[in-house]
Amino acid sequence: MHNIYPLNVEEPLERQQLNTLWKLVSDDLRTDLGDPLFDRWFTGFLLDSVDLNGVVLSAPGSMYAIWVEENFRDSVISTFQKYLSKCDKFRVSVVAPAEDALEPEPEVAIEEVSGKGKVLSQTISKSKLLERGLSAGLVENFRFDNFVAGENCDLALAAAKAVADDPGRTYQPLYFNSACGLGKTHLLNAIGWESLRQRPKSKIISVTAEQFANDYIDAIQNNSLAAFRKRYREADLLIIDDVQFLGRKEGLQREFFHTFNRLNDQRKQVVLASDCPASEINALEDRLVSRFQSGLSAEIHRPGLETRAAILRRKRDDWDMKVSDDLINAIVERVKGNVRVLEGALIRVAMVATMNEEELTTADVHEVIADICDVQEGRQLDAEEIKRAVSEQYDVSVPLINGKKRTARVAEARQVAMFLCRQLTELSLVEVAACFAKDHGTVIYAVKKVKKRCEDSASFKSTVELIKRRLVRGGGTQNPRGNDPVVPDNDQFTSFRKFSPKGK
Amino acid sequence: MKFQIDKDVFQDALNQVQHVVSSRTTLPILSNVLIEADELGLQLSTTDLDVTITVRVPADVSVTGATTMPARRLASIVRELPTSEIKIEVNEDNAATVRSGPSFFKILGLPNSEFPVIGEFGDAKEFTIDQKLLKDALRKTAYAISTDETRYVLNGVNCIIGEGMLTLVATDGRRLAMVEQDLEFPAGNESAVIIPTKAVNELQRLLKDSGEMKVSLTNNQASFQLNESHLITKLIEGNYPNFRQVIPGEAKYRVTVEREVLHSAVKRVALLVNEKTNSIKFTFADNQVSIAANSPEIGEAEESIDVKYDGPKIVVAFNPEFVMAPLRNLDQDEVYIDLIDESSPGVLKIDEPFLYVIMPMRVAG
Repeated sequence: MHNIYPLNVEEPLERQQLNTLWKLVSDDLRTDLGDPLFDRWFTGFLLDSVDLNGVVLSAPGSMYAIWVEENFRDSVISTFQKYLSKCDKFRVSVVAPAEDALEPEPEVAIEEVSGKGKVLSQTISKSKLLERGLSAGLVENFRFDNFVAGENCDLALAAAKAVADDPGRTYQPLYFNSACGLGKTHLLNAIGWESLRQRPKSKIISVTAEQFANDYIDAIQNNSLAAFRKRYREADLLIIDDVQFLGRKEGLQREFFHTFNRLNDQRKQVVLASDCPASEINALEDRLVSRFQSGLSAEIHRPGLETRAAILRRKRDDWDMKVSDDLINAIVERVKGNVRVLEGALIRVAMVATMNEEELTTADVHEVIADICDVQEGRQLDAEEIKRAVSEQYDVSVPLINGKKRTARVAEARQVAMFLCRQLTELSLVEVAACFAKDHGTVIYAVKKVKKRCEDSASFKSTVELIKRRLVRGGGTQNPRGNDPVVPDNDQFTSFRKFSPKGK
Repeated sequence: MKFQIDKDVFQDALNQVQHVVSSRTTLPILSNVLIEADELGLQLSTTDLDVTITVRVPADVSVTGATTMPARRLASIVRELPTSEIKIEVNEDNAATVRSGPSFFKILGLPNSEFPVIGEFGDAKEFTIDQKLLKDALRKTAYAISTDETRYVLNGVNCIIGEGMLTLVATDGRRLAMVEQDLEFPAGNESAVIIPTKAVNELQRLLKDSGEMKVSLTNNQASFQLNESHLITKLIEGNYPNFRQVIPGEAKYRVTVEREVLHSAVKRVALLVNEKTNSIKFTFADNQVSIAANSPEIGEAEESIDVKYDGPKIVVAFNPEFVMAPLRNLDQDEVYIDLIDESSPGVLKIDEPFLYVIMPMRVAG
């Protein structure tokens, strides 16, 4: 056991290491100081963190902290030196200010323990709850009761509810990841609201990682780091959206790391959401990755057809729109994934419907939302699908396309496939070349050739377009983590304009 | 502005205010004293923006007005003036002429409009308190104030009013001095404030041995209104740590010792204190305490004094300065040292509501 010591302090120690280390150090201190002295001053002390900046202990009271720092500095430092590669500084922070602070917290305790308290807590007026929630940074309309559940988010929803019911005890931290527009933020806010409803006194903070960063920067500028830390480290429930924003920001990560640790140690709940799994966040420190992964990581997938329809019906009712179920079905057939795009499509259809006197048909709907579908799915293709589509069109088998045969028909199919790979996927030249076991020069040539032929021959062009349309509309396997397209606003307008004269 | 004033009166007033003037040179006006003359006399004010002192003195004012003059310089001039009569005249450029007998001085001042205005005292808790009582209490605690500026909440005396008591506490993490005086305050005045060191020092200078004083407290300011003088200070913001955590429980053994005897013995032995450990050893046994210092390169000292003690032999080491500080500032003849064992804090007490906790140093070997 001892051979792992001295521990290198270049890297901050993990919780596990800290616990073991404190056990050793406190045993040594006890031997050194004697039982009465150790018990008098070190009871309730914990090892908070160890890094290059020194050792941080936490004390149960502020006076103990000061007293131990002043009177036992040498003993503490020399004991730590036995186990650490370097230790010349230590300080003591105060872990439970409750004992010192004048504001007692028994009310919260009562609410949690006794049934009577619970009833009391529920009688807190709705407006007050709303006010508290809003001031905590929660968005009013995102609640569990208006979240449309589907098979795509079973796990995430169940986890969210569990955490809201019993924060800090079930999944710590709870980490949601999904492409954007699939309901992460909705779930985060719903956890906040539900938790607040059950425990109106609890301290909830809901921010985006960017807000956290801004607060941090402000605190540095105004020299008010202490207040910043107090605010975040005393939360009962900390909700952070868009944590991918932490990527590449070292100082911020360090601050967040300590905030996270403190909350974790105090068994407070942290809920995080990001557009990718923790391990894929750009330049996120390993220690944060491992912490984010230590709880439950729930992925929200793209909703299936029925869920999409359910979501849109819900929205239609919420917004009081006159769009028939058939039209909704027509929308969800074409628009897949991202709920925001779905909503956009619904709004568009509803608007067109109000502008036209005649009933819209399924075909009309498809036309209205055609451009959304295009961007929507264009990127979800991979080389294999393209090859399959091309092989169908040219009646040339996929192995042939992949092969070396250079008869005119096979070569043309291969070139079209390469061309489409370049157009419809984000694969690089080299990657496309690898898919076809050719070099990238070949791909360049193929793309050029196909372009040229499209200009020269209308029939060739229409063939390529046909394959393209099939690929785009036909829908392939879904890539749940693909980047979502953002529909530019003016696109929507042009499409309205294009369409609206019809009825007039 | 023109006035005539008695030298001793003026000198005394300047002494009361001049300690506040700032050594910071960023704002020249802060090293000046504001002199305001009205029909009744003069009002002198100095401030460092944290602590402000105002003193009123009688003077023979022929032309009223206001100006500011460099406080320290004016005080040293006045101190050296040959006769007891001082005539001062200030022109509109704030240049003051000081005449006393054959002496003539011209001092350039700054306009009084530059002098900072002290913030209004809003919704304050007000009460009166006996001057001597507060002066004694401050004297018994102030020496234990921490000078470590990283723990700013300890850079002052914590003053708690409530439960029929006035509690004053100061600590630096190695010792703690506390006075807990029974005192009835009108209801609604319960408060806990931290008075910064500088204000504590100035207050001790201003407080007299008799009479009362009006105290006003707000969240961040305190005002102490004496007869002729007035001190306003910012308070240290923050929560004073729960000092009761370090006051040991029931003591097992009590040593009764004469204060002056102990003080002078420690003072002598401390001359040979080991600079590295900075501790001297107290051996309590059989109605005796032997005080010893041992410094390897210098030599050693030992002194035994008679005390009242019948417990077992206890050897405990203290920092000599920490032992002497309360002894210097108390005036009782007898003090008690309460001990539990060699490693627990010792507590020094007197017959009055006072206690002083002192951490033992660890004796090597």
